[in-house]
Amino acid sequence: MDDTRGRFEAQVLPHLDAAYRFARWLSRSASDADDIVQDAVLRAFRGFEALRGSDAKAWLLTIVRNCHATASRQSARRALVPLPEEHDPHDGHAMIATTPDPEHDSISRDDERTFTRLLAALADEHREVLVLREIEEMDYRQIAAVTNVPIGTVMSRLARARAALRAHWRQQTEGAPRAVR
Amino acid sequence: MQCAESLRVQAYFDGEVDAISAAEIERHAERCPDCREQLQDLERIRAAFRESVAPEPAPAELRARISRALDEEVRAEKLKAAASKPRRDSRPARAGFWLGLLSGVGGSAVAAALAVMMWLPAASSPFLDELATAHVRSLMPEHLIDVVSSDRHTVKPWFAGHTDVSPTVVDFAAQGFVLVGGRADYLNHQRAAVVVYKHGAHIINVFSWDAGSRTVPASTTRDGYRMLFWKVGDLGYCAVSDTGWDELSELARLLQSSPAA
Repeated sequence: MDDTRGRFEAQVLPHLDAAYRFARWLSRSASDADDIVQDAVLRAFRGFEALRGSDAKAWLLTIVRNCHATASRQSARRALVPLPEEHDPHDGHAMIATTPDPEHDSISRDDERTFTRLLAALADEHREVLVLREIEEMDYRQIAAVTNVPIGTVMSRLARARAALRAHWRQQTEGAPRAVR
Repeated sequence: MQCAESLRVQAYFDGEVDAISAAEIERHAERCPDCREQLQDLERIRAAFRESVAPEPAPAELRARISRALDEEVRAEKLKAAASKPRRDSRPARAGFWLGLLSGVGGSAVAAALAVMMWLPAASSPFLDELATAHVRSLMPEHLIDVVSSDRHTVKPWFAGHTDVSPTVVDFAAQGFVLVGGRADYLNHQRAAVVVYKHGAHIINVFSWDAGSRTVPASTTRDGYRMLFWKVGDLGYCAVSDTGWDELSELARLLQSSPAA
């Protein structure tokens, strides 16, 4: 049993940071991400035998994604209505840094916020493929496994996600001195 | 961006094409301004990710929480493993109990019961569903208890006439687990015995059935109810409740350290 725990820690827990980042981007909430990740890791541990040498990172992120889906279904059923901005994919304010930090209140910081805000405002199915590709640096096959769709769908979602991000970004930074062009 | 090659250009950018296709796409992009622009955009977005999205590690508090949860999980597993091994100190009592059962029921009936059990996969989820459903049903009005008694000398003989098994029945009121009665349930194609305990406001159903030589499923959670499994001799046990793992483990420990008869 201790051996199982040891193997689990060696194979799966190195991906805990990735699991947490992914949960943050899925749920857009730090406290929800904590619960999702804990739930996911426990499920992973119980089903550890099913891993059998396959891709541990993709496997763990798949479980994270399922746990997030379950959690959002449950919270919807319990009518714990989230703040409206968390619900509306077109409202970009959900991911704004909660406390303004005067020391870092530079233009580059603004750009940073603009970008994360735009990313948070993408449709869920677009944001998740983009996060898996650009932050977790997964290949199409891995992304297809995590999101449970064919590779062709991964490609078209990625293309739409990037086009939407680029369009919004141009709109936001238009005319600004540090517009990224 | 409207170029028909745009998905291939994206695949090239993401490193998803072989060397021959890559050379083709590079040649195409030299001639196609749309694709050149697309490649620049893709690169800008990637750069923005690198600059703007800080790699956020999992908080130390979360790591600690997960480590504690894993400890607990391992402990529950160990408890289960210990329960499925016969204990040296209680073996004589159990041997007597099983001999008694054999003489009373007849060896062929036991053999038949064992044969029935062979059909059932050890960790089949229909069985877990069956247990969870039985637990939920028991919580409905008038379903919890068939024989109301806090006296094990009343509950235990009642099982003999109404179920196929004779589980351990002990009142642990002093330890916070109050025996409230017993119930017969149909489970695993046999008449299982259920000993009902109250712990604070929580009801704990302790199911027991003839598991034969089969192992019991791993402890798990179903529909929000915790299920702790263990085995003593040929008897499979499962404590089901919405109370915590610690409480279930404690009750399991108490039951396992009580004489079987």
